[in-house]
Amino acid sequence: MISFWHSGLAIFFVAGVFSAPSLCQASDSKDHWAFGPVKRPLIIGDLKPIDDLVEKKLRANGLIHSQVADRLTLVRRLYLVMHGLPPTPEQVEEFINDSAPDAFTRLVEKVLASQRYGERWASHWLDLVRFGETTGFETNRERPNAWHYRDWVIDSLNFDKPYDQFIREQLAGDALGEGIGTGFLVAGPNDIVKGQDPKLGKMQRMNELDDMINATGTTFLGLTTGCARCHDHKFDPISQKDYYSLQAIFAGVSHGDRPLELSETIKREIEQSKAEIARLKVSLSKFIPKSLEALREPVSSRYNVENFQAQEAKIVRFNIERTNSSQPCIDELEIFSGKDNIALASLGAIATSSGDYVHPFHKLEHINDGLYGNSKSWIAAGATGWVQIEFPKVKLIDRIEWARDREGQFNDRLAVKYRIEVALDSSKWIQLASSSDRKSYQKNKTGKELYEFLKFPQNQAKQGQKMLLRLEEIEKRLVALQNQNKVYAGSFTQPEATYLLYRGDPDAKRDQVSPDAISAFTSLELTSSEPEQHRRLALADWIASPDNPLTARVLVNRLWQFHFGDGIVGTPSDFGVNGMSPTHPQLLDWLAVEFMENDWSIKHIHRLILNSKTWQQSSRPKLDAMKLDATSRLLWRYPTRRLAAESIRDSVVMVSGLLNLKSGGPGFNGFQVQMENVRHFFPKKSYGFPDWRRMIYMTKVRQEQESVFGVFDCPDASQSVPKRSRSTTPLQALNLLNSTFLMQQADLFSDRLKKDVGSNPVDQVNRAFSLCFNRFPTPAEVQNASLFIESEGLSQFARALLNTNEFVFIP
Amino acid sequence: MNSFLNRRHFLKHSGKGLGGIALTSLLARDGLLAVDKPIRPNIESTKPFSARNPHFSPAAKNVVVIFCSGACSHLDTFDYKPELVKRHGQPMPGGEKLKTFQGEQGNLIKSPWAFKPRGQTGKMVSDLVPQLGELADEICFIHSLTGKTNTHGPGENFMSTGYTLDGFPSMGAWVTWALGSENEELPAYVAIPDPRGTPQSSVNNWGPGFLPAAFQGTDFNATKPLRNLIRPPGVSAKTDIATRRFLQRLNEQHLEKFPGDTELAARISSYELAARMQLSVPEVSDLSTENSATMKMYGADDVSNPIKSSFAKNCILARRLLEKGVRFVQLFNGAYQTGGEGVSNWDGHKVLQEQYSKHGPVLDQPAAALIRDLKQRGLLDDTLVVWCTEFGRMPTFQKGASGRDHNPDGFTAWLAGAGVKRGYSYGSTDSFGWKAEQNISSVYDLHATILHLLGLNHERLTFYHNGFERRLTDVHGNVIHDVLS
Repeated sequence: MISFWHSGLAIFFVAGVFSAPSLCQASDSKDHWAFGPVKRPLIIGDLKPIDDLVEKKLRANGLIHSQVADRLTLVRRLYLVMHGLPPTPEQVEEFINDSAPDAFTRLVEKVLASQRYGERWASHWLDLVRFGETTGFETNRERPNAWHYRDWVIDSLNFDKPYDQFIREQLAGDALGEGIGTGFLVAGPNDIVKGQDPKLGKMQRMNELDDMINATGTTFLGLTTGCARCHDHKFDPISQKDYYSLQAIFAGVSHGDRPLELSETIKREIEQSKAEIARLKVSLSKFIPKSLEALREPVSSRYNVENFQAQEAKIVRFNIERTNSSQPCIDELEIFSGKDNIALASLGAIATSSGDYVHPFHKLEHINDGLYGNSKSWIAAGATGWVQIEFPKVKLIDRIEWARDREGQFNDRLAVKYRIEVALDSSKWIQLASSSDRKSYQKNKTGKELYEFLKFPQNQAKQGQKMLLRLEEIEKRLVALQNQNKVYAGSFTQPEATYLLYRGDPDAKRDQVSPDAISAFTSLELTSSEPEQHRRLALADWIASPDNPLTARVLVNRLWQFHFGDGIVGTPSDFGVNGMSPTHPQLLDWLAVEFMENDWSIKHIHRLILNSKTWQQSSRPKLDAMKLDATSRLLWRYPTRRLAAESIRDSVVMVSGLLNLKSGGPGFNGFQVQMENVRHFFPKKSYGFPDWRRMIYMTKVRQEQESVFGVFDCPDASQSVPKRSRSTTPLQALNLLNSTFLMQQADLFSDRLKKDVGSNPVDQVNRAFSLCFNRFPTPAEVQNASLFIESEGLSQFARALLNTNEFVFIP
Repeated sequence: MNSFLNRRHFLKHSGKGLGGIALTSLLARDGLLAVDKPIRPNIESTKPFSARNPHFSPAAKNVVVIFCSGACSHLDTFDYKPELVKRHGQPMPGGEKLKTFQGEQGNLIKSPWAFKPRGQTGKMVSDLVPQLGELADEICFIHSLTGKTNTHGPGENFMSTGYTLDGFPSMGAWVTWALGSENEELPAYVAIPDPRGTPQSSVNNWGPGFLPAAFQGTDFNATKPLRNLIRPPGVSAKTDIATRRFLQRLNEQHLEKFPGDTELAARISSYELAARMQLSVPEVSDLSTENSATMKMYGADDVSNPIKSSFAKNCILARRLLEKGVRFVQLFNGAYQTGGEGVSNWDGHKVLQEQYSKHGPVLDQPAAALIRDLKQRGLLDDTLVVWCTEFGRMPTFQKGASGRDHNPDGFTAWLAGAGVKRGYSYGSTDSFGWKAEQNISSVYDLHATILHLLGLNHERLTFYHNGFERRLTDVHGNVIHDVLS
């Protein structure tokens, strides 16, 4: 396949930019270079293939490599590219003082081993997989459990998880014990406004699946599959049938949270919390007026327990006789035998009901699926009704727990009058529990109103109030604990049959299709009734196979691009016939082979690149070379470029001395959010320590640009972004000069300088240069800057430095 | 430029002894004879917005594009179809099994607004836009436009960038890349979003694509000023200037180590432009100096319709920008952020009459006042006004609905001002207004014509990218010479 490149057909332009226009490429896509097998190219010399192959191309164009950059430049470049942060003066000094010949190689190892590496490079991946933490579209609601996926990507990179495994876990992690990975499938936007129009609903579902198909195709394979939704792909060998075969792979995937297995620690804490709640209630009971004393607490929308003597049961039925409003809703009915909830469908228990309200959020299966919250709940068809659980065999039960919404967002549809009955067979029912011994439910009244502290001596009343506060606290904690295992990683059900849709119209069904990959490449041999999980696993195995011609090539090209600004293939997510051809086809294949033969190790490729002369060469422009290759695409120098938005923000906060290195967990908010049905996002007015975490931990809001750094080409996560644009605009200048954020950082930076070196301007200049630029100032610079500090103040000096080109460019 | 002049000087003064072949080859090397060779603007990276010469003598210096987002129906505004009135309520011949963007079609439906003859020419314009109608004698209508897509995002992209995909340079970016601006104190290219929000493809309508980012549109409007434009509180003007000067010196010293690096130089000049904008943008945006007659003429004083008065202020802002020499102004009417399908834009699928009754008055008086105002100030002699929308709408109502579906097969745009015929109509759609029939023209033709009016050859205004010499008009487009005055 690569022979195309040796045949001399490649067209070079006088302007010095090199690629064959697609019109001149092989007309038959089967002969397309990227679709042929990856083979280790024969390279003469073979000692340092990156440098040799780059140099070969340079020489052919009358160019040569630049000399190796000085050590200060190297250490600064390394940290900026790999961590997105400048090195500290101490890190620089350590490297400069290390005169061993392998000093840089060892520094590379140190940098790759740092947590900071994953935090920088995950952002490349998150751009690519259109990861956002809101739904997008007009409501743009939060996805509070989506951050787990971001952390999972960071960790995977830091642990150098083999890329084939990384792929598999994102497509079918639920089958591989790495459930968070499937956050990939549902990382994109989805429209949560479900209209009454059935066609609209179908279209929305088709769009969700289209997003998953596209994300998979572009991310892993560098193929644009989306065009095949309505017709066969015009350029690449992807038929409309292939598109719907891929749709059948994902047809059982839905947007939403999924609970992961709770850790033993959490399970224990839940038990302890429940026990403490019970204890507190007993202690508090003396504050309940006598008239009510005999009664249990009223029903709660968040959490109710029915305790009773252990009882044998085959069927448990929950009869609802009245609600506080509308048809009754229960998010989960849990029936305990000792510590275990035996009502779960996964344990073979079967749910039936008097009738179900029809809605995508509310289904009978949610009554015992182990999932909490409104969007995974059951609603009865009528104003009253029943739901029952039948166990596979007779069980001894001793406790029932139920709620309207354990996430605490809804308190309508609450069963306020109910009976719970058991039976060994459906002929004879015994009542176990009911609302008759509860205090009556009063709207808008919490437990608080039950207790009358004022009638007691002050110290007792105080103690009682304290206990009540603790009770409220622990109840909140319980809600958090019960929901903390939720991850926005999609939920899975066995799908119905998939059909080819004429022109993508959901009402124009044609032939039924089975799940499959792209037929020009392979067949997964799956039946149309294949279990849902198998489908994704089979696709993952094909993509993550060394025989796949695209997977490794696409990834090594991405890594190359993030090192040099441009990929070997200039269209990183289009390796199809319409994409650009590689500037260095042999190099691309060599890297791909190296990658696969070294256990798909991303860090291995980093090592190869970082230790090359090509990466280490100087970035100084040379006028003669500029004339031949103005964009440095052939790498006669290391191409300088402005830092990405995140790296600028992180670097600013780092030199000001307040970078908050808290890793992982829920993100911080970059906006002031107006919590209406349709969320509105406003710029923040003030910032504090939580805001000074690395920007990758800023909750990723779709559509909205963060008010200061968004204009530095931050993608809005609506679409996959394989390569950010790099613009230079007056708006960026205004934001970096005048924003509240930057002015505060300038003040903090100036405080730091005073704290570090005292009040002498010369010392301040030296320290500031070493923090911002990793070098000493020249005497002229010292003089200039000191004079400036004396006349305009240290904060203004800090403001200027944080705005310099030297600060925001990779050298 | 200098070497070109020297060479011409050389040829002029010593040419007699040179053979024709040598002369031709010299000229060809400069790309002077080859009619299809690209003409690259000579851009100083530190002064990207300085005025540059067009390819030939232009009819227009500046452009304002009024873009109606959502696909404004030609059949309810400017394209009068008596046959549609006559066959109102009947099935459309040839439309029986037709499925358009949202599905099946119902019957032919005449416009809810009456059409009346306007001006000397008697051009029929609907009562939805009566004030624009009054200007019919100034306007050059193109009724036979055709597009490539029936989806809004791609349609807006196509009208603004010549491509349906995201990521191609907008027309304003092409124009300012080629010509710079007459005013270096203001952004060369300003996009003025509708008071209700941004259009469907949002920033891609004024994006730079692969052209240098300096040529993207800067977006602000009369009610939403540029963020962080003002110097921070607590910093005196003197200190602010001193800090920026200090910063500039640091950057210039740094640039000495990277001679010829355009990204570094461009960043320096972006700070210079930012500083100038701090003075010039508030000044140009300050409408308090406009007299009450002007405010009234535009409808900016209409307290009963805040959307209209806000759009009117945007129109006044557009005039002020043009007055200051801003090269390209894009004025949006209609938005998607505050309401999809027809609510705050022209996408009248279901309840067209109800929705257009709101949108018509927002557009009509302010846009008409803009043209009148430009004219009375003598600016229309140098300024080209373009009115456009992403595509047209169907002559039928959608099945089971009271609105029109998307129709890219025949729709209207119009031009007014510098270099175009007045009171003229070019091309036409069929008798119902469904498909373009006479003098069928494309969005590419419209683009080619606009560039031509600015003195730019659309086939030679190219930028090399990803293996192609890219143009605004791709590989298509013909100047519509009929519309030129």
